[in-house]
Amino acid sequence: MSARADPRLTQDRRLAFAFVTPAVSVIALIAIFPLLWTLWNSLHLQDLRMPWLGHPFIGLDNYAELARDPRFWSSLGHTLFFTVVTVSLELVLGLIIALAMNSTFRGRGFARATSLLPWAIPTVVAALLWRFMFDSQAGIANALLVAIGVLERPMVWFIEATTAWIPVILSDVWKTTPFVAILLLAGLQNIDRTLYEAAEVDGASAWWRLWHITIPLLKPTIFVALIFRTLDAFRVFDLLYALTGGGPGTATEPIALYTHTIILQHLRFGYGSALSVVVFVITFGLALIYIRGLGLRLSGEER
Amino acid sequence: MTGRRRLAIACVALAQLACGGREAESGRTVITISSSVVGTDGPLLRRQLDRFMQVNPGIEVRLHRVSDDATQRHQLFVQWLNARAGDPDVLELDVVWTSEFAAAGWLLPLEDPSIDRAAFFPGTLRACLWAGDLYALPWYADVGLLYRRTDLVPKEPASLDELATFAQRGIASGAVPFGIAWMGARYEGLVTVFLEYLGGFGGQIMDDSMNVRVDAPEAVRALTFMRDQITRWKVAPDDVLTWHEEETRFAFQNGRAVFMRNWPYAYTAMADPAQSRVAGKYAVSPMPAAPGGRPTAALGGAQLAINRWTEHPAAAFALVQFITAPEQQLERAVAIGEFPTLRAVYDEPSLRAALAIPADDARRAVESATPRPVTPLYTQLSEILQIELHRALAGQITPEAALTAAAQKMNAAVARTGLREYMFGRPVTSAR
Repeated sequence: MSARADPRLTQDRRLAFAFVTPAVSVIALIAIFPLLWTLWNSLHLQDLRMPWLGHPFIGLDNYAELARDPRFWSSLGHTLFFTVVTVSLELVLGLIIALAMNSTFRGRGFARATSLLPWAIPTVVAALLWRFMFDSQAGIANALLVAIGVLERPMVWFIEATTAWIPVILSDVWKTTPFVAILLLAGLQNIDRTLYEAAEVDGASAWWRLWHITIPLLKPTIFVALIFRTLDAFRVFDLLYALTGGGPGTATEPIALYTHTIILQHLRFGYGSALSVVVFVITFGLALIYIRGLGLRLSGEER
Repeated sequence: MTGRRRLAIACVALAQLACGGREAESGRTVITISSSVVGTDGPLLRRQLDRFMQVNPGIEVRLHRVSDDATQRHQLFVQWLNARAGDPDVLELDVVWTSEFAAAGWLLPLEDPSIDRAAFFPGTLRACLWAGDLYALPWYADVGLLYRRTDLVPKEPASLDELATFAQRGIASGAVPFGIAWMGARYEGLVTVFLEYLGGFGGQIMDDSMNVRVDAPEAVRALTFMRDQITRWKVAPDDVLTWHEEETRFAFQNGRAVFMRNWPYAYTAMADPAQSRVAGKYAVSPMPAAPGGRPTAALGGAQLAINRWTEHPAAAFALVQFITAPEQQLERAVAIGEFPTLRAVYDEPSLRAALAIPADDARRAVESATPRPVTPLYTQLSEILQIELHRALAGQITPEAALTAAAQKMNAAVARTGLREYMFGRPVTSAR
């Protein structure tokens, strides 16, 4: 409390503000300003195809339309489904791979480097690759499944809602698990070896060590991986754009693809802004929940 | 508004930087034209631009490269025009964008008295009009064609029934696994295929009063006919529901189908015996019709329009007129086989000699070409239709239910925008 009276500290404070100002203004310019603008647009009617309707303020009408728009709800459902399934699979598989790569074996460096390969492939290229593999006529997936007798005859994967999801989920898991694995590996390497040695001396089983040492100590890293992956998965666009185009019908359409269609194909900037705002609110809410789960606090002050 | 204006200026500045500055060295007027510059198209356009600059020494034309993918090009144009960028000055538009861009106020109307509207095929010109005004000139025409295997089919099918019969016979003979191949993936191509069957049964997507008519009995018959090809007669494989132009062509080119619905480009693409198993064994005709309908070809192709924000409208107009003139259209048709939009060009002996498709067949197809609904809402309407058509073809829903749903959603979309009131003079009652 005496700090406020101290003239030296006040001066420090001013200096600190001066240092922070450029960063804050950049954030304001590139993040907060577009956000507010989008919010403002979402309260207006703006349809570029119909300039004669003007640009009137319509309050929450866009949001009311959203609430009644079945395509919005189904795309939101697809996005949540995609997020939950891919992120859980990637986390479990990523953890297994990370544990394997953390143990000592010959060629470990090589294994670590090559495991990142799928992650390094551009998403659109990967999506097209999977598209070809699941092609009904020439795809390797059909050839394989017919050869081992799972399928009687080649099937057309992309015309059925349920089967179209299979290549989608597989390709995302294939592509992103390495990223999760590398993140978790970094966390594993920070765990003190002596803990394991002590547990072993006390006769703890490998399973017990995993549940009582590895997982609890890995929790912060797991949360970081979860934040990255959940937010990424929730905003998924390129994979589905190239792989299914949201089809059949709109059965695999995620919310980002729907927003893109509304704004850039239908030119409904007002309604599209409302969609964007909803996506922002949801992802921001998810981020907040994770940050709380992580036990981090947004302000830097001591508890 | 000032913020928006400033952003617009910044975007224009960036766009100018991107194409290397547009100041002419010798005080010449510099204009740009959008082009994807891929394949044989690039060198041809460059040749024509060089000639244009020789005739108009005061104007320098530069190419502004854009994606050859229509969806991406649409997106680029929307971003640029919405930001009021004057570059490219001349825009190559897909036939279905003109009314949308014109309504948005992004194109200059073409009012020059030297334009002879009657010289163009009526369908190609209709796609350039918005609210009675001309906003673009037809450059080349793409039309849907029915390809047939001349070794498997005795003659051009005279009706849709005959098409189905010939297709079944082809499969029964054991020569081919498929009777007919078409693009049935959920995208714009599916609407063009549907439009042809629809016209063949005497229906239309939208009438002159902007009422959507896809729930009419003719439309249900058309979609049922398409669906029957897959499920009842089994002449089209399930796979067509994932096919675009190229997958369709590969099926036909590898000798796997009796018929194929595709665009003119496939004619030249399949002519090489080294790559094509059907070289020399195919012919084209317009899609046949059912009793009460008329043979219909979907109109595709490109038009040239002038950017509303151009600084050089006169130079831009001169360029549009030059490229769409008979000499250049003829050269284009001879060089890369794209159909001219001017009637007179079809009488040129050099065209008759050079065009892979017999010129009379080509003229017949362009003459019967039907544009998709000319409305700024087209992209949205088409998307609704694509989704419902695809659901019906995939067997998730009956053709009748799909088309009822489509008509209801499409009409609701039209009603919400006040487009009918705007078009037909009644006051716009509500913005929504």
